[in-house]
Amino acid sequence: MKHRIRYVLLGLLLITAMLAGCTAPVAPQPADQGADQAADAAAAEKTKVTWLMLSEWPGTDDVAADFMADNPDIELVLEKVPFNDLFQQIQIRLSSGSDTPDIVSVDVPLVAGYGVRNWLMPLDDLYSDAEKDDILEAAYAAGSHNGNLIGAPQFTSTQLLFINDDLFEQAGIPVPGPDDRLTYEQIAEMAQQLTQDSDGDGVTDIWGFSWEQTNRIYQLQPMQESLGGQAIGDDGLTVEGVINAQPWVDAYTYYSRAFNDWKFAPPSDSDEPELFAQGKLAMMIAGPWQIQRYSTMNDGAGPGFNWSVSRHPYFEGGEIVTPTGSWHIGINANSKNKEAAMRVVNWFTTSKGAELWWRKASGDFPAQKSVLALFQTDPQFQEGTFAYMKTAADEATVNPVPRALTPGFLEYEQILQTTFSDISTGADVQSSLDTAAQRIQREMDKYR
Amino acid sequence: MTTTVVTRTKTEQEARNLRRRRRLAELLHKLLSYVLLVSILAIVVVPLMWAVAASFTPNEQVFKYVFPFSWRALFPSDPTLEAYVNLFEQRDFGRAIVNTLALSFGSVLIGLLISAMAGFAFAKFEFRGKNLLFVIVLITFMIPVEVIIIPLYILMRDWGWINTWYGLFIPGLANGLVIFMFRQFFADIPQEILDAARVDGASWPRILFQLIIPISLPAIISGALILFLGSWNSFFWPLVVAPAPEFRVVQVAVSLAVQSRQTIWNELMAGAILAAIVPVLLVFPFQRYYVRSIASTGIK
Amino acid sequence: MTKAEKWVPYFFLAPALLLIVFFRLLPAFSGFLESLYATSFAAGGVKTFVGLRNFQDVFADPVGLQSIWVTLRFNLIVNPLQIGLALLLALLVNQALRGIDFFRSIYLLPIAISLNVTAIIWGLVLNQYGLMNGLLRVLGLPAQPFLQSPNQALWSIIMMASWVGVAYWALFILAGLQGIPTELYEAAEIDGTGVMQRFMHITLPLLRKVLVFVLVADTVANFLLFVPVLILTSGGPQLSTNTLMFEAYRRGFIFGDFGTSSAMIMLLLGATLAIVAIEFWLLRTSD
Repeated sequence: MKHRIRYVLLGLLLITAMLAGCTAPVAPQPADQGADQAADAAAAEKTKVTWLMLSEWPGTDDVAADFMADNPDIELVLEKVPFNDLFQQIQIRLSSGSDTPDIVSVDVPLVAGYGVRNWLMPLDDLYSDAEKDDILEAAYAAGSHNGNLIGAPQFTSTQLLFINDDLFEQAGIPVPGPDDRLTYEQIAEMAQQLTQDSDGDGVTDIWGFSWEQTNRIYQLQPMQESLGGQAIGDDGLTVEGVINAQPWVDAYTYYSRAFNDWKFAPPSDSDEPELFAQGKLAMMIAGPWQIQRYSTMNDGAGPGFNWSVSRHPYFEGGEIVTPTGSWHIGINANSKNKEAAMRVVNWFTTSKGAELWWRKASGDFPAQKSVLALFQTDPQFQEGTFAYMKTAADEATVNPVPRALTPGFLEYEQILQTTFSDISTGADVQSSLDTAAQRIQREMDKYR
Repeated sequence: MTTTVVTRTKTEQEARNLRRRRRLAELLHKLLSYVLLVSILAIVVVPLMWAVAASFTPNEQVFKYVFPFSWRALFPSDPTLEAYVNLFEQRDFGRAIVNTLALSFGSVLIGLLISAMAGFAFAKFEFRGKNLLFVIVLITFMIPVEVIIIPLYILMRDWGWINTWYGLFIPGLANGLVIFMFRQFFADIPQEILDAARVDGASWPRILFQLIIPISLPAIISGALILFLGSWNSFFWPLVVAPAPEFRVVQVAVSLAVQSRQTIWNELMAGAILAAIVPVLLVFPFQRYYVRSIASTGIK
Repeated sequence: MTKAEKWVPYFFLAPALLLIVFFRLLPAFSGFLESLYATSFAAGGVKTFVGLRNFQDVFADPVGLQSIWVTLRFNLIVNPLQIGLALLLALLVNQALRGIDFFRSIYLLPIAISLNVTAIIWGLVLNQYGLMNGLLRVLGLPAQPFLQSPNQALWSIIMMASWVGVAYWALFILAGLQGIPTELYEAAEIDGTGVMQRFMHITLPLLRKVLVFVLVADTVANFLLFVPVLILTSGGPQLSTNTLMFEAYRRGFIFGDFGTSSAMIMLLLGATLAIVAIEFWLLRTSD
């Protein structure tokens, strides 16, 4: 009898402990809790809109504050997640039918996939005609699915050929100008000349040419497109006979030779932008964000050598094609604050918000023509290597071809990524592409 | 007369030779041990040394001496605190540490209690369904979090636990591994001790807390380690259940340095080192408590 | 066993069981159900019941078969390797040598770093121009492709996982070793037994319970391991590191095909259970 009472007491103690542990916050309150509570009490009619976005974009809190100054009845909360985890997060939350986040940053090639799953609401009423005209047509089309806009274009992108002028001069090769466009064949020749073992220790330390990211379809697609290849079949689902067709085989034979035969590309696990910064890579196809990086390195002194840019290369006799596509914004189909969310999206993707974002936050190329035009006149881009941004802004309009418009883009991209890695480390081109076609095709079946 | 003296001397000689050989063997053994110890030290330490060095290097110079690797990579020539400063100013690392400390301490305390009780039940009692329940407990730590994350997320959403301490804290308390570990350790405790205590009239809580637990210090420490590290290193679950900035945990804060176009290496290393220091400082001194005196505290 | 009122053990078990049921079992059951369905997006996301078809597909798919093979290979190597090395390491640091505390503390450092960061650091160490090749060159040996070679990549992952794993499990074995009374060893030495005999007849038997724990826990951890693959190789090169767990993760969280993903995980679970059962049986004692 006595024992039983002790048990009951112990049990109650345990339960209380658990509840106490649960109810009392186990950490000190965040410092601004007091301010939040006061604000909440004062503005109880504010609509709260959450936006799930990339954590790496700097300055987004500032731009959000600007938005809230213009729209005092909306409280915009930014949920920031690292890039490698954003897609997963979106998938977990939207596939469970959750009503938050209200707004999602969408990487443009995923628009079709989200569309087919009905995760995003149509945004056809989002823009006035004038606003719509201001948006790059390619971006608007890439953000649409079945004729409805579901991803409002925020940014676009492009790529340039970065050149180490000093290495060129040392090798006696004339440096191409910012408006010149080399062919891949020319690059191969020059790169072989430029690759060398400069300190005689038997190991190559200067490389001729590579890409910023050697296994992403974003980077490499212009090669096969320049040879007349397609990204994917016209139905958006067929890869068999497309990605293992001749243009792809030829493009990736060039790619394979760069690593394994001519050996002017450094091992594919290298950090190519870093190699370029150290003066160890003579040519590199990379994005305009590197212009910012190299111009501001070492407190503005730069990387320590002369560098310049020229236009994105193409295959001789082939088409001129540039990579494009960046981030868009979508609204959760289950959101409970659709009107407020639409106002947020409209503000950020039209000239005022887009310009503020460009100036204060991530500096990516806006998809709004009026803001893109500012690159040509803005004082920031008139001097020194910053002026290359004007070249980039112009290149963004030269035949940009988006990535494959398919609901199975993640599957497509991921499998191709491992395929490209394999080819760069010596696997046979045709059989790798054949296997990739098989694997991708199988994943595409669930969209039929 | 002389023969006995000779025999004794011969035995003494033999004994002395044996001792000498023994000492030599011991010396060699010790030498070998130290050689091994130092080699293993090198394997463990050099990558870590680079990480520390990188955290004090300006981001532009992090790879200067890594590709190809030279010893200069281990000793930065231009040390700077910029990585650490950025962590605290721009990535709210301080709050992440506080959050995760609170979370981890809570998890250890309550997790130990719950798991020790369960391990005790499995180790020292017979009851209906015992084997089945034990198998179930084992299975639970074989289930990867990936397979349960979506149903668990839906559950959290239905209970309103998203972006709350409940959601972060409670699901992590169910740890089959620690229960299993306690069961193994407790099973080695002789039955006589418990029977004697029962005969003396001790109640079960008293037996558990005043008898078993004090002699199970290695198990407690191992359990605390598993629970603490599990909580401190958790990344996936906190990101899913509590992505709001005020709930940021330390591993998420570290991973913010890995971005789509580049990785900010010095901040990544600085974050990783700060994140590693806490377990090192808090838990590792306890490895001294794996003390041999266990043997003399009454198991015999 | 202990004599007590019938409900006492249930009382001790209750909190843990409650937590496990709600936060592990019920969601796991949900996950299991998921493996019996396939989703088709042609009609906007319709889930149809397909029974065991997802399971059959894993075996019919060359990638699925390959990942089963890689998983088997990985585990057959890594488990004995890690446990063996952990045992040796624990024995090594169990000695009363001078400065042993210092060595022990350093060896435990790998545990303090999260697996994500460890993988990233090792990625740099194994880079073509990284630390490992730099060392090899200093020693006059040829540089190795490591993660870029289909033959070496899996071994590189094994090496990386062991850098952490051996330290982790050695800790538990050390705890077990510390629980063995020294008097037993002293008595045996006086009796004239050799080192090996003492090991076989005193150390191993008394370590049995701990070894069972370490073996089982390590098996489970290695079957479910995929973070190093995710960060370093994405299953390559040429699918040589494509473990079943990684493929399941890829199918679920990258391709959005949760039916196949769950089926693969259920298969993995089954295999893990079987191996664990065998381990328990092999190390059974007569209590």
